[in-house]
Amino acid sequence: MDDDIPGVNDLFDDILEGGAPDSAASESAVEEPQTPTDAEFMGEKGGVVTGRGRMEAAFGSGDGDETATAQVAQVASEATGGTLFLQQYRPWRGELNTRWVRNWAILRYHVYGLFSKGHKPWPMMTKLIIWSVLILSISDLAMLAIGAISGEEMIGRLSGISRGNLYGHVLSFWFRNACTYPIVTALIIGGMISEDRRNGTSALYFSRPINRRDYAAMKFLSVALILTVVVLVTLSVYYLGAILVGGEGWSYVVDTGLLFVGAFAAGVLLVFTYTSIGLALSSVSSGKFFPAVAFIGIILGTKLVAFLISSLFNSSAIYLLSPYDCLAHVGQWMLGLNHTYEHPASWSLVMLLVMNAVSLYVLTARVSSLEVTRE
Amino acid sequence: MYGPHVALDEMSLKINSGATGLLGPNGAGKSTLIKTLLGLIQLTSGDGKVLGYDIRTDGDKIRQLIGYMPEYDCLTLEMDAVHQVKYCGELIGMNTNVAMQRSHEVLEYVGLRDQRYREISTFSTGMMQATKLACAIIHDPDLLICDEPTNGLDSKARGFMLDTLFQIVKQGDRSILMSSHLMEDVERICDRIVMIHKGKLIAQGKIEDLKAIDREIEIWVWGGASKMEDALHKAGLTPRRTGRVMRVVRQDETTYDLVLELAAKTGVQIRRMEDYEPSLEDLFLVIMDRLGYGVKSSADLLKAQAQPRAVAPSPSRVGGEF
Repeated sequence: MDDDIPGVNDLFDDILEGGAPDSAASESAVEEPQTPTDAEFMGEKGGVVTGRGRMEAAFGSGDGDETATAQVAQVASEATGGTLFLQQYRPWRGELNTRWVRNWAILRYHVYGLFSKGHKPWPMMTKLIIWSVLILSISDLAMLAIGAISGEEMIGRLSGISRGNLYGHVLSFWFRNACTYPIVTALIIGGMISEDRRNGTSALYFSRPINRRDYAAMKFLSVALILTVVVLVTLSVYYLGAILVGGEGWSYVVDTGLLFVGAFAAGVLLVFTYTSIGLALSSVSSGKFFPAVAFIGIILGTKLVAFLISSLFNSSAIYLLSPYDCLAHVGQWMLGLNHTYEHPASWSLVMLLVMNAVSLYVLTARVSSLEVTRE
Repeated sequence: MYGPHVALDEMSLKINSGATGLLGPNGAGKSTLIKTLLGLIQLTSGDGKVLGYDIRTDGDKIRQLIGYMPEYDCLTLEMDAVHQVKYCGELIGMNTNVAMQRSHEVLEYVGLRDQRYREISTFSTGMMQATKLACAIIHDPDLLICDEPTNGLDSKARGFMLDTLFQIVKQGDRSILMSSHLMEDVERICDRIVMIHKGKLIAQGKIEDLKAIDREIEIWVWGGASKMEDALHKAGLTPRRTGRVMRVVRQDETTYDLVLELAAKTGVQIRRMEDYEPSLEDLFLVIMDRLGYGVKSSADLLKAQAQPRAVAPSPSRVGGEF
């Protein structure tokens, strides 16, 4: 009875007696995968990865792309197409930079987005309009160039450096403050904060070491920098160009330098005011349409209302409600031009300060109440 | 506090390294707790430390060391994934080139290697979640906080997300605090849990320890389930019964013998007898049933008297196998 029961050694008899098993036989037991003719390379574990597998990995899974998931990276799973790659966590222990580098990243993201991919995706229409306005803003320099080339002194004199022309570059109602600067501002500020609120992208900032003051400041600087290029850089280009094209020589700077400084200061005030009002509007809404329309409404609407009321009551004080008119009045005072308003310029300056203070208060209050999640 | 509303109340907790689940029903205060840990909400009273930094004063430093994956959308849909993740790295303070290199690495890690130049608006929900995870881990944080990471995912994408998080803990040796109302997800990744309800801490500790409070024996009987139930009652075991399946609280090792003895006496066949493995959901229910909201640790729970509850049978098990 006991003989019928095989011992442990009996189980290995065929191995011990026959030596190593026939390698060819054992290999034949394991079926080799058939390599299809369209195989392009082998996966990490020798599995076949076909062209189709690669296409699906790159573009999802054909027509049902919207349902594609991140399955291609499963841990060394051998799908029918083969092993694609190993999911491996790679540690990183680099140095993190300071607050100013983080802030610079926010500024760069918004500004570089106008002419470079990989930053803020400004809509194509916005970019086109900004570039168009930028070109339009140096039209006075173009006039000077035409005058110099054609030899027409009249053109050169009309478009040369003067109080009126410097004022006009920054603060003329028609055409710049009716059609270009407010529209550019509206397009920029439209979604600047409101889209962070609506899309939840505020979480990207506030869950990182970005404090709300820095966030608001960098948004402000981003808008202000773009407007500075459109308004002030073009003013500077015009001024320097006029000196060069007009052949007046550098001593002309002594004669007109203060006028330029006055116009530049008025431009700074315009950029600051438009930015603060615009961002305040953006911070109280959750879309890009309302702040843009509201900004144009405030700039042009208050001007129109003030014009109508002042013509009825024969008083210019109502213009104090219009940001543009306050800026224009202060600009006239800075450049020493005849005032077109009856009330003192100091009132307009005070009103500008009040408008900016209120706007900045709204901006900071709204930014500090921004949620870390989508609202 | 959110205005007059008390969001978190008398919460005293310590979260160790490793994977910890933050559990609680919707509105329990999970997200508020996370925001507090991130230093985004000012405490009206109390204090705390995260990774050794004070949550009252060192919010910036804490947020630099933590990766946060929010529950809701936070991506710029018009951007491609690689630049979105790179920007997140820059916001942490990484150099541009380093952030770009790291962005490629983490996108590969989360399974978006070949989709990294695609616009995010064309992504599926799973891919968006993966991008959010990549944004959170770009700087290889010591602590990753995930707020409902499987929200809105189908089973495949959910499985992948959980596998990836599990790998970060096991392979990357990083800590995770994962908030979820899905007990199953937490159970799959975490070894510890913090359970909150209505802004109060109700339990914290190792899942195994907490599960021990609800140790029961599941018995499958044949031929006289009612008689067996009566006998168990008489023996003071207070069984919970659904059909032929009943559960009794395991008092000690002798409970098995007692059950077998009672079965022999009543002439009932016992087809199967095993320790019942409670889920976290069972645990949550037992805490609510037995102790209300005042539990601070598993020790508190163990002190309390166990009460019988209604059986919530697993549909895959009950019926059809006898």
